[in-house]
Amino acid sequence: MAPYTNIPLSPAELSYLQTSLSATPPIRPDGRSPTQFRPLVAEADILPSANGSARVCFSDGTEAVVGIKAEVERTGRADVFREGESEGEDVNATGEGKGRNEWLEVAIDVPGLRDDDALPVFLGAMLSEALGADGALRDRLWINARFHWRLYVDILLLSPPLSYPLPLLSLTTHLALLNTRLPALLSQGDEDPLFNDDWDASTHLYPRPSKPSPATQKPPITLLVTTTGPNILFDPSRDELAVAESVLAVSAAPTASGSLSVVAIRSVDPPSRLTAAGVPREINSASGATATASAGEVLAAREKDEGRGVWRAPRGGVGRKVVAEVVKMVVAKGGVGEEVLAGLEGVET
Amino acid sequence: MPLDTSTYILAHLRLDGRRWNELRRLQAQMSTQAAADGSSYFEMGNTKIICTVAGPQEQKSGGGGRSQQDKAKIEVEVNFAGFSGMDRKKRARSDKRTSEMQHTIASAFESTLLTHLFPHSTITLNLHILSQDGSLLAACLNAATLALVDAGIPMTDYISATTVATTASYADKEEEADPLLDLNGLEEQELPFLTIASSGGEDRVCSLVLETKVHMARLEPMISVGLDGCSQIRGILDGVIRAHGRKVLEGKVG
Repeated sequence: MAPYTNIPLSPAELSYLQTSLSATPPIRPDGRSPTQFRPLVAEADILPSANGSARVCFSDGTEAVVGIKAEVERTGRADVFREGESEGEDVNATGEGKGRNEWLEVAIDVPGLRDDDALPVFLGAMLSEALGADGALRDRLWINARFHWRLYVDILLLSPPLSYPLPLLSLTTHLALLNTRLPALLSQGDEDPLFNDDWDASTHLYPRPSKPSPATQKPPITLLVTTTGPNILFDPSRDELAVAESVLAVSAAPTASGSLSVVAIRSVDPPSRLTAAGVPREINSASGATATASAGEVLAAREKDEGRGVWRAPRGGVGRKVVAEVVKMVVAKGGVGEEVLAGLEGVET
Repeated sequence: MPLDTSTYILAHLRLDGRRWNELRRLQAQMSTQAAADGSSYFEMGNTKIICTVAGPQEQKSGGGGRSQQDKAKIEVEVNFAGFSGMDRKKRARSDKRTSEMQHTIASAFESTLLTHLFPHSTITLNLHILSQDGSLLAACLNAATLALVDAGIPMTDYISATTVATTASYADKEEEADPLLDLNGLEEQELPFLTIASSGGEDRVCSLVLETKVHMARLEPMISVGLDGCSQIRGILDGVIRAHGRKVLEGKVG
């Protein structure tokens, strides 16, 4: 009995997919090029009650909504004292180095799964890790020595998780953060914060590029990259994930100089590991072989075949060279990362 | 913070400038999500809801062996997004109010859906509340109607729902009390109100929820204003569905 993997493909179909995806150039089932993304529908600033919000719909039907809410919170007394120690040397009014990662709260809601299931917890960890990796965001949550913003990022997956939903959630979060606005601060120094109630005067959490300084900070994006044979494929669909030899989640964020840098990489356990192997012809009783092959003989025949003749779940890890190549493709000038960022920037609010 | 609704008597204009029988701006879309069997987006003022329908599909095993096998079971899941309200708040899944809402919606649709055509199956309604500003249950019912139509599940008629309040909560000023149609969040906190859902023209009430105290004599005018509002909403839903159908026929939508 084949193990339940949620992949509705037979060994023969997997083998076919794997062969066409490892060809040079790879032939993807939907005819895309290796770095091409699937078309998507995106809107930003859709909710009146949130500080920032976005909705993204992938063409396979998966849909996510992200709402971001900010609340003013009193910084704990212990933290104030810790700040007080160093008050002598830094009296600057910016929050540089004073932000804390716990001021950012990421919650993922996937229908049909509990909040403490593996998938939402793992996805949440990956997204918040990328967001916390550059200190710029948490420092912007600092108001003064006694108060800070608490940012709640609520990610709602509206559809069942058909393909691995990480890129969808990451792009939606990016878009929502890009459009998040905080009310303008009127009070000065360490007094109780007072804000401008004019929403038109609010400031973007990630400042928009202006004429004097075109380079700007942006939230990170997390891209899903798979390798099949010698090829590196971006934005894998469900079928492509089913035969992936390795799956990497690469988070990249633009630096102050305008170039992209990688802030986090994680390898994801590919679902292909759980697929059942095909039976080589020599021992397949249906094709006339002797039906008396023992378990040992079957294993030996499969090992000899090495996945060339029939499908066999991929083994082993991912090489350093491949990881380096993936990173290069993401961060290179005019590479995939920049293309995605430019695409999301063009989304109308 | 109690809200001053006494100004209503002066100009007969409500907090947001509407007259007593005016609806808020209604906007709706169908087939918003390709992965679901049916889906809709419904907006009533600032109350925004996405509804997806899965089914009719095979009944999940182990759920309830004792459930009726001769017709489809309707399951409703209402999900409040953490960012939907004024303050960020996460509601537990086992929240009493939420499960009551789910039950109300499920039993309302049991009366209009032709569930006997799908024995041994389930129809799952997922309602995601993205933004709440009053008339939540009514908006959920309207959104669910659109999504069920999109899913192609046969029904005898649309369910359209709205809320009605009455301006004065005490027995005095009897002659001045006006029923108010389609409440927003602030009015809902202040005034006694009911949610009414109707189908099959003007006179069939399929759900009526009244959680506050109201003077007996006011109930009848409230219900008749509510039924009138329901038929207005029904007209709007019908327009949305017809426009969507036309688009599908022209091949603009898959």
